Amino acid sequence: MTTTDAAVSAPEIASDETRRRFELEEMGFKEVPKKWRKFYRYWQGPTDVLAPNEVICPVCKVVIRATRELRPGDKVYCMPCMSRMVVVVGEDGRLEADVVF
Amino acid sequence: MTTVDVDDFDPHALTEQDFLDQVHSFQFWFDSVEGYLTDRPYGRPDATVEEPIDDARRDRLITSLCNYCVGETAALDGAAGLVQLAPDRNSKIFMATQVVDEARHLEVFLHRLRELGVGDPEREIERRAQPALVDFKGALLDLVAEGDWQAAVFAQNVILETMEYTVFRLHASTADAVTKDVLAGVIADERRHAGFGENDLGRALAIDPSGRVRLREIRTRLDAMVLGVFEAALADIGAPVEGHRQLASEYLDTVERLGLT
Repeated sequence: MTTTDAAVSAPEIASDETRRRFELEEMGFKEVPKKWRKFYRYWQGPTDVLAPNEVICPVCKVVIRATRELRPGDKVYCMPCMSRMVVVVGEDGRLEADVVF
Repeated sequence: MTTVDVDDFDPHALTEQDFLDQVHSFQFWFDSVEGYLTDRPYGRPDATVEEPIDDARRDRLITSLCNYCVGETAALDGAAGLVQLAPDRNSKIFMATQVVDEARHLEVFLHRLRELGVGDPEREIERRAQPALVDFKGALLDLVAEGDWQAAVFAQNVILETMEYTVFRLHASTADAVTKDVLAGVIADERRHAGFGENDLGRALAIDPSGRVRLREIRTRLDAMVLGVFEAALADIGAPVEGHRQLASEYLDTVERLGLT
């Protein structure tokens, strides 16, 4: 899909070629409209290993998924709880998300 | 005019305003609840089989559900009043969807009480309601009557809904099959309600941080009421000690993100 900057000011996740791309499929998460369900999945608890394109929403604990590898500074949205967040590196070196108000 | 390539329907490519317009809309609500409430009369699929519940567990479950009904009634009355106070159309429309959610929660919990053999749920709720939760309901509705949007959203969508969200998830993890199904739909709704409260207040406090002083006072007055009630609910459902820690910690994380500690 091509869209103009009238509708999308800037992609929240940069589309440079060095990032791995991911083909998303629905994983049983049905709490948002169908077209967006593949971008979210339930977190299975502390043993749930996140992929490079995933980060946990600190507000509602749903796993947010992207079509590209996530990096610090990327902006993502949690539609299930309506939060906007930025990807950061946590104390343990893993990617986390901080809510942006 | 420049163009950028974005993936079909990629939510992360939305502008902030487009995102807010989407998630606050009635259409978003409708297309969301369709995913998890279709073919679930009173929140449960017909195929779910009732499992045996011994008398003691049943009694504790009835107490929990009675108090959930008090909380849901508070949120139903509160959200209905907040529709008129909403500062913009997106908030007004979202709050109207919350009214519907809260009415459904009350209805499914009342229905579950009847399934558990409670002949007169209203009388049972009156008998088993924790006084602190009844007091909280009164305090919330006072804030609504005063026309105080921020304080009422904080009391309802942050204090009450954040704690309910944690308790319902913990309860669902140990509940009988039917109660678990009923709770699953409620939990999905609570995600929106708690998220709305945190983000609405977060945006307002980012613009005018002076509001934090007043909200901290409200927090001091009200959160202990609700915390005590839900700690008792966790005891009733047999949640492990870790569950009590999770309740306190998830709530504290929320108020910390809002700068209200």
